[in-house]
Amino acid sequence: MGSLFRSEAMCLAQLFLQSGTAYECLSALGEKGLVQFRDLNQNVSSFQRKFVGEVKRCEELERILAYLVQEINRADIPLPEGETSPPAPPLKQVLEMQEQLQKLEVELREVTKNKEKLRKNLLELIEYTHMLRVTKTFLKRNVEFEPTYEEFPPLENDSLLDYSCMQRLGAKLGFVSGLINQGKVEAFEKMLWRVCKGYTIVTYAELDEPLEDPETGEVIKWYVFLISFWGEQIGHKVKKICDCYHCHVYPYPNTAEERKEIQEGLNTRIQDLYTVLHKTEDYLRQVLCKAAESVYSHVIQVKKMKAIYHMLNMCSFDVTNKCLIAEVWCPEADLHELRRALEEGSRESGATIPSFMNTIPTKETPPTLIRTNKFTEGFQNIVDAYGVGSYREVNPALFTIITFPFLFAVMFGDFGHGFVMFLFALLLVINENHPRLNQSQEIMRMFFNGRYILLLMGLFSVYTGLIYNDCFSKSVNLFGSGWNVSAMYSSSHALAEHRNMVLWNDTIVRRSRVLQLDPSVPGVFQGPYPLGIDPIWNLATNRLTFLNSFKMKMSVILGIIHMTFGVILGIFNHLHFRKKFNIYLVSVPELLFMLCIFGYLIFMIVYKWLVYSAETSQVAPSILIEFINMFLFPASETNGLYSGQEHVQRLLLVVTALSVPVLFLGKPLFLLWLHNGRSCFGVSRQCTEVPVPPHPNRYLLFFFFLNNSHLRYGTGMVCSVGHRAGCGGAVSRAQIFNSLFSHSSMFSPFNFGEILMTQVIHSIEYCLGCISNTASYLRLWALSLAHAQLSDVLWTMLVRVGLRVDTTYGVLLLLPVIALFAVLTIFILLIMEGLSAFLHAIRLHWVEFQNKFYVGAGTKFVPFSFRLLSSKFGDDMA
Amino acid sequence: MLEGAELYFNVDHGYLEGLVRGCKASLLTQQDYINLVQCETLEDVKIHLQTTDYGNFLANQTNPLTVSKIDTEMRKKLCREFEYFRNHSLEPLSTFFTYMTCSYMIDNVILLMNGALQKKSVKEILVKCHPLGRFTEMEAVNIAETPSDLFNAVLVETPLAPFFQDCMSENTLNELNIELLRNKLYKSYLEAFYKFCKNHGDVTAEIMCPILEFEADRRAFIITLNSFGTELSKDDRETLYPTCGKLYPEGLRLLAQAEDFDQMRRVADHYGVYKPLFEAVGDGNGGKTLEDVFYEREVQMNVLAFNRQFHYGVFYAYTKLKEQEMRNIVWIAECISQRHRTKINSYIPIL
Repeated sequence: MGSLFRSEAMCLAQLFLQSGTAYECLSALGEKGLVQFRDLNQNVSSFQRKFVGEVKRCEELERILAYLVQEINRADIPLPEGETSPPAPPLKQVLEMQEQLQKLEVELREVTKNKEKLRKNLLELIEYTHMLRVTKTFLKRNVEFEPTYEEFPPLENDSLLDYSCMQRLGAKLGFVSGLINQGKVEAFEKMLWRVCKGYTIVTYAELDEPLEDPETGEVIKWYVFLISFWGEQIGHKVKKICDCYHCHVYPYPNTAEERKEIQEGLNTRIQDLYTVLHKTEDYLRQVLCKAAESVYSHVIQVKKMKAIYHMLNMCSFDVTNKCLIAEVWCPEADLHELRRALEEGSRESGATIPSFMNTIPTKETPPTLIRTNKFTEGFQNIVDAYGVGSYREVNPALFTIITFPFLFAVMFGDFGHGFVMFLFALLLVINENHPRLNQSQEIMRMFFNGRYILLLMGLFSVYTGLIYNDCFSKSVNLFGSGWNVSAMYSSSHALAEHRNMVLWNDTIVRRSRVLQLDPSVPGVFQGPYPLGIDPIWNLATNRLTFLNSFKMKMSVILGIIHMTFGVILGIFNHLHFRKKFNIYLVSVPELLFMLCIFGYLIFMIVYKWLVYSAETSQVAPSILIEFINMFLFPASETNGLYSGQEHVQRLLLVVTALSVPVLFLGKPLFLLWLHNGRSCFGVSRQCTEVPVPPHPNRYLLFFFFLNNSHLRYGTGMVCSVGHRAGCGGAVSRAQIFNSLFSHSSMFSPFNFGEILMTQVIHSIEYCLGCISNTASYLRLWALSLAHAQLSDVLWTMLVRVGLRVDTTYGVLLLLPVIALFAVLTIFILLIMEGLSAFLHAIRLHWVEFQNKFYVGAGTKFVPFSFRLLSSKFGDDMA
Repeated sequence: MLEGAELYFNVDHGYLEGLVRGCKASLLTQQDYINLVQCETLEDVKIHLQTTDYGNFLANQTNPLTVSKIDTEMRKKLCREFEYFRNHSLEPLSTFFTYMTCSYMIDNVILLMNGALQKKSVKEILVKCHPLGRFTEMEAVNIAETPSDLFNAVLVETPLAPFFQDCMSENTLNELNIELLRNKLYKSYLEAFYKFCKNHGDVTAEIMCPILEFEADRRAFIITLNSFGTELSKDDRETLYPTCGKLYPEGLRLLAQAEDFDQMRRVADHYGVYKPLFEAVGDGNGGKTLEDVFYEREVQMNVLAFNRQFHYGVFYAYTKLKEQEMRNIVWIAECISQRHRTKINSYIPIL
């Protein structure tokens, strides 16, 4: 079960679903999420498929549900989300559900329509009262402030008689009044002026309270206007313009009594409407509350139902229309589960004939399934982001679990930073069941999903930080330094020993700014520090030189080990895919090429570390020069690392040089030889090819062919075989199908040129890659240097300044300084540097490690599972 | 404007250009059309359109589905996209968009005036107006009785105002005058648009000018074709021709003298661009109509506009292509709903 080393073995299975039970079977399968369906109707367009009507019905239900959810949300009723997900509804209930929902929708639509109508009415009445109130002041103002207007004779202040006054004068004065949208006022007035050529008076005032726009439902500011005009013609035009600007025009009362009457009438009507509206709203709320209870389960059920029909659309019908045939990919380990699910489905629907399945052999590449848990998931994702593994190839995710955090930590190595990161990740891991974390937003979610990666990265950083002896850029002296300064003083040595040694005395110590410790002086270097770098290097001026040399060599060693491991994993792939020749013709030359050059480099590094001590360090040869000389065969003899070095190097070079042509030509030539060999024996092979002995069941099949003459096609047959033979069981059926459906294997034509080209390209890439990839691993050194230096800078620029101030103020100063230090540490050193180290670690895995063996050309296994349907209905419906 | 749009184009218009290219990729493909043609009912059309970029734009339509519902929803969708482009555009692209809407505005004004002449209510006609050419003053069009009235009262503040300069007359509005007004408006509109693109220079001019030249010539041909057998005098006819096309000036003079289709065809024979188009026209029954041939040519030019970058022509081309696509879908849907399948394949494929 579920090994992380390789993807799981898959098999192609055919499901025979009795048309009566197909729905239930798929429902059972969907709950378990075992299989991936293959589309058997790829060239049938979506509206010509079998279950298009059912899908349409589901869509109709979804539409109604979306409407319900929208209405419920608008009424601010909380939507209860059920904990459990209800199973897909049994077919019998679907009709009932549909009826129920449709009835609900009709009712709801009616009620909301009524409500809207009432609201609109109410709004109009309110607008009317506002208009009446405001225009009353207009008239007064008109009369009071525009007495000089030419057409008006000077009027007495009695505004109530205003209109009758005008009538007496014989002018046909008309009024249009109403409300207009605030934004349109200006254009409206301009147009009025242009059209009516100034024969109108427009007065308007802003309404203090904003009202709802009945068309858009927005709450906006309105203006009340009153247009007075002369003449019928202009009146028509004014009305048209009012229409054009969507003004709400209300009749204008002529006399004060009328106005009062209208106002009173309006008030009572508004009161009435309010009560009616309240009642309607109460009723609506009741209906919605009732609907809200079941809407969640309905949404889930409809989604499941739709998913089932989509899957059924992928199945093909057999000729008799009695049976649906589905082809699925299923992990071999889950086959019995699949059988049980089918039985369950059949039992549930109470069918007399069970649905069954059998496996069929196939030449197609199955999808890749690697079962992960919450710990391995993150690492698998890193690998999958590069490419989903080909079927059954070695999965690098298994090794990534350790190598990824380790390479990250080599770059990020700092005890303190690592510990902070570890604590953060630990917090996430401990609280991983917290609901807020599960539903967190994008960036937080990213951290949350990678919590186990972070945890390991933090742990490994603590380890490498200990090795580098870095804690927030400071070294920790845990075990006591291995260097003894006092041994350098001349007083601590006997005179006889003084000869060759540069020792210190008081004057030297006082005068020189830099003093050098000499490890060859006895007693100065007392042995290596037990773990990691000696803390005394923190004081040394040549610390960087020392660390650079150390880290550079370390990165090369790590890199070459990592890459060699990748090539070795390639061997496992070749073994599994039964291509042994690949091992001898590809993997072994590759290994030799790598080890003879770079393996030897490692050997030299380690040899030099072990053999040369402080005393002999003066005569130690440079590895760089030695390595270059290995290729150049210089005339002048250098004193090498060891005796016989020249011969060993020559031998290694010869092996390297020999492995290159093998790498280039070995595989293509071998394949060519195989191909030719096969074609030589071809004639005899064809003769000796033994036909597959027919299985007894095949006779059974033929027997039925004879009996049921109306069945013309084998597929249709099998059901009847299944029915009647009954006891035959799945095995015999499987064999019938094996014999019926065994496809003739497809031979791809042998193309020597293509194989040669591929191999040549691969080899060139590999040989050049060995050099460039090794250089690429130097980023381990570069990034760890950058990280150390950056944290060092932060320390000297901030904390050291804070610590230098004398104690009285220092305490006050230290608080902000430490706070700033903490913030900068988190943002620059942890997040920014962490991200960059993360990216480089990813690159080292994807490019340098995985290209040695990983193809990554597979497709992911996507099971038909209800769990993959989004269970939240807020996102896609409302 | 300076040459070298590639240096600064993306600062202002890069986002929109990217967007419109994305939108263009969502046009229906040949396969989609093949599938659409196979549909049996409008429901099938709806289901198929759901698998394309139209998505479930018809999901909230209650049954039964009609062609006009599909049409309005598609128009709404185009309008939404166009409004989005327009709201996010900067000068001079926004002016370009304004020019694009002008043609729809002219059509709407003329439609409303015709409606007013036939005493139909404004609301009834408003539904038929193209949403891209909507403007607030539009509904007041029926106030005016003469073109100058129309200009002074209603259109003076709209983008259409400058095109009115040539058609201010005190004639009463009857059907012929309205048609003349439309063509005059269109003529000055096309010329103004052409001038705008020409002045803008750069790739925009290189792309848009040929398209507009073609548009102008197409109008000239169509006007000529429609004027056969009417009381329109030849001189009047010539004043209606847009002068920014390839036919200007000799071709237009010849067209003004043409008296039947064959003479028109002879005029077109002088031009390498139009000769093959007229040759493609089938005679009488069967074969393509002149209109279809012109549409095909337009689609071709619009598709080619997408081959160049850093110009405004893509917006124009996209809108036109989308319109053509909508015409195609409506055509197919009409054929399906009227069970008139013989002509269902005569839509204009967008390559």
